[in-house]
Amino acid sequence: MRYLLMALMLLLSLILPGTAFYFWSWGDIKPDLIMLFIIYMALHHRPLSGALWGLGAGIIEDLYIGRHFGMYSLTLAVVALLTGWLAQRWNRENLPLIILIVFLVTFMGQLVIVFLNLGAGTGWTFYAALRLVGGVSLYNAVLVPITYPWIHRSFVKGWLKYRPKYER
Amino acid sequence: MGKRKVTATGIIVLIFFLILGVLISIRLTGIGNTFSNPVGNALHRVLSPVESVILQAGNGIRNNTRALWNFRSVEAENEALKKRVEQLTGDNLELKEQVLAGLRYNALDQGLFNSPTLSKYEKSGASITNRNPTAWYQTLTLNKGSNDGVAVNNPIIAQYGLVGKVVAVTPSTCEVLMITDGEGKVSALVRGSTGNATFGIVEGTYKQTSRLDAKGNLQMLFRREDNVNIGDLVLTSGLGGVYPKDIPIGKVEQIQLDSSGLLKTAYINPLEDFDSLEEVYIVKKAEGE
Repeated sequence: MRYLLMALMLLLSLILPGTAFYFWSWGDIKPDLIMLFIIYMALHHRPLSGALWGLGAGIIEDLYIGRHFGMYSLTLAVVALLTGWLAQRWNRENLPLIILIVFLVTFMGQLVIVFLNLGAGTGWTFYAALRLVGGVSLYNAVLVPITYPWIHRSFVKGWLKYRPKYER
Repeated sequence: MGKRKVTATGIIVLIFFLILGVLISIRLTGIGNTFSNPVGNALHRVLSPVESVILQAGNGIRNNTRALWNFRSVEAENEALKKRVEQLTGDNLELKEQVLAGLRYNALDQGLFNSPTLSKYEKSGASITNRNPTAWYQTLTLNKGSNDGVAVNNPIIAQYGLVGKVVAVTPSTCEVLMITDGEGKVSALVRGSTGNATFGIVEGTYKQTSRLDAKGNLQMLFRREDNVNIGDLVLTSGLGGVYPKDIPIGKVEQIQLDSSGLLKTAYINPLEDFDSLEEVYIVKKAEGE
């Protein structure tokens, strides 16, 4: 059930930005739900395990988008590592801190995407890139109070909680 | 044999080669790449019906509750319309100008899909199943793919004019790069009221300037002496081999001289409302055309 739910969340994170969030975008800015999903995963896993989730989700997103292979694989792995590093230092029960983590990590993740886009020869002006990076980070941070409490509860004592084989 | 020690230099070299590898991979698999992607194709085949349902539901809700969501803009529009009615009632001359402008607009719009170049191609309707999966590109996903004869570079048109071109195809879906994206350039001509044509390149301003909005914007660069005026109609030129000739793109809305005074930029208002697109036509071209 745990892995089925995670797979469902991953698929929803893939399709919602292009469908439902098309109607809830702020001037073409929409949240990066996969990045938010990976941040939540990394907050509730060990750093290496979180990074593997990031890499796996990144590969799936790269395949789904069908171009610029490697961009999201690398970005989401970095995002997961950064989240894991912060989660070891900051309390994951503290909602304002989680909002700050999501904002900072999304900002860094989107900067990696800008860097890789520039390296790949895509022309972005500084202002346009900053607007998107800041906007996406802010949108992800706004979604935290709505999504994090029930996801965290599920990781701690619900369907998403890890149970060793002998407990199942 | 002793255990090998991981040094800082080793880590830096590893990170350098990792980033280099990813950059090469990104460059090789950019827009319009021909890499086969069976997993991505399977994902699209499975997710496309779900996406289509969500998008249609969203469109339905938005269309039925537009007045609620846009209450302030509807109120403002109402106020503006009241003032407009008063102004028009008192100023018969302005009314005449409005009528003339309306007539001219209709005259410019005539010829829609009656282009002799366009009419020789087969056109097939398609529904939009996904819009911009990421915020970084202006793309649409359609529910027609290579199984329906869709190929890369097929032009996409809608009721009023050009939408974009196909950049990636799976057996059941295809991805369309809209003309409002900075990556999608169109060879075009501006036709004035006297019938003279000025050639140029239409490019999307998405990700180039701060002129971002939900509908996207288009612009063209001209020499200062080129005869381009506000209200002129912009059409595809047929040059470049991707788009057929004479498909309407938009109307020149604003002209701005650059700081050197040698060039001017024409800002173009697309005829198509990209925000409310639900159905489009795929123009199928024969091999080699």
